[in-house]
Amino acid sequence: MSRKVLIIDDDADFRRAVGVFLETRGFAVVEAKNGREGLRSAIAQRPDLILMDVMMEERTEGFFTLQQLRRTAGLEHTPVFVVSSIYSNVPGFGIDPAHSWLRHDDFIAKPVDMSALLERIEGRLGAATSGTGAGT
Amino acid sequence: MTTEVLPGLAESPAAGAEGAAAPERIVVVIDDDHAMRLSCRQILVRMGFAVETFDNGAAGLEGVGRLKPPLVIVDLKMPGLSGLEVIGRVHELDPETVIIVITGYATISTAVDAMKSGAYDFLPKPFSPDELRLMVGRGMERRRLQQESRRFQLERELLRHKFVTFVSHQLKAPLVAIQQYLDVLRRLGDAPEAAEHRAEWLDRCLKRAEDMQTLIHDWLTLAQVEGGALARRREPLDVAALLLPVPDTYQPVAAAAQLTLTCELPVEPLPIVGDASALSVLLDNLITNAIRYNRPHGSIRVSASRCAGEVCIAVEDTGRGIPEECLPFLFDEFFRVGPAEGETTRPSGTGLGLPICRRIAAEMGGTIEVRSVPGQGSTFTVRLPAGGATSSHPGVPNEPQGSDHR
Repeated sequence: MSRKVLIIDDDADFRRAVGVFLETRGFAVVEAKNGREGLRSAIAQRPDLILMDVMMEERTEGFFTLQQLRRTAGLEHTPVFVVSSIYSNVPGFGIDPAHSWLRHDDFIAKPVDMSALLERIEGRLGAATSGTGAGT
Repeated sequence: MTTEVLPGLAESPAAGAEGAAAPERIVVVIDDDHAMRLSCRQILVRMGFAVETFDNGAAGLEGVGRLKPPLVIVDLKMPGLSGLEVIGRVHELDPETVIIVITGYATISTAVDAMKSGAYDFLPKPFSPDELRLMVGRGMERRRLQQESRRFQLERELLRHKFVTFVSHQLKAPLVAIQQYLDVLRRLGDAPEAAEHRAEWLDRCLKRAEDMQTLIHDWLTLAQVEGGALARRREPLDVAALLLPVPDTYQPVAAAAQLTLTCELPVEPLPIVGDASALSVLLDNLITNAIRYNRPHGSIRVSASRCAGEVCIAVEDTGRGIPEECLPFLFDEFFRVGPAEGETTRPSGTGLGLPICRRIAAEMGGTIEVRSVPGQGSTFTVRLPAGGATSSHPGVPNEPQGSDHR
């Protein structure tokens, strides 16, 4: 059975490009255009991994949705990568993953490098199947 | 001066006017003269302040550190730590503390030194209760203004920061989409998926690049209006004449989207004073929106009329309408109404068109407002002060901007 990735992002073009790429690599892809839809989809579809944008309809929608996911039974430990262009190495603007409550290895900056993304997903899914309770 | 010592007026450090006072109502008095401390306390307590007094500089500084008062009254000439030293140390704790120095006539030059080192003002001995009241009142007012201005500055800085973060996000979005498409296409190489998607994705890349151009253009337009450069001209205009070419200009675009466009203008001129090119930018934004957010076989009605000293321009559409909860933010920079229920995408837009309209209307002394019924349509109304050449001012020539008069 192919592993399922849920892409939550308000940019249809981003979802399409990344989605098609992951499909060619054997993943099943589900898309959602905002946090609400994403949460609904995560509950219904039980994805193996979630890619989550931050700034959607609301400025911090992705972070909020992430918290909701973590409080939802069965989704507490689903691996989530926060994928955003709000990462910035210009001091004072955007989020510096090194100084955020977000774990450094949970963050992927846009534009996403596809081979790096694939590696990160494989790494996390491998860890999730062999380990216990990873991704909290 | 009156140094009447009131019986029962305690001088213990804890003797605030009414127990724990709000920090902004505390005054600290540092003076080695017992009578001076008591009379200051008496006057200030009657003004509603909580007063703490200290008889030497070191104890006073400790008190200032603990109480964080907005205002400190300090005697310049004290044994031990001098008044001048106290001023410096108090400002090290909080540079916005207002300090009033008390000084004898003999030390007026020291008072000048005190002012130079940051005291707000000085009270030469002897002084009347009124003089003290006046000076403390002014000092408190200064403190309030200082804090207010700092608060505004912080708020402005925060807003600017949020804005820059947001703008950079908006600018990155189309670039990210283009990069992802190109990156995936390159990686797919000759795979059948590449052939399947290539044409569509390249079209999307071009579209997103166009969006980015529009975004930058709109952003610059907004900056131009904000800088006062776009709506700078103040010339007599006839709105009716300005609107005459609207059908010819927009009917083709409307027809392509299966929409009908009508324009209703009065026979008489609608004079205003303003900037013709800015007004056409405003109209272009409103009419383009009415086309973009309409539905097939819908209509757009542009009209202008005179109402109670104003010229009203209305652009009415039969589109999706705007949800009520979005109305307060509609004219904010980058605000966009989300896709309607059941839609996956929304028409492209920068979220800057309406802010531009609002600024232009404001620059010309007018307003813009919207009425909307979700599912039925929206009406944007621009009101501009009627003026310039009217029939009651026959002396001023009315020059309809190069258009034929109806």
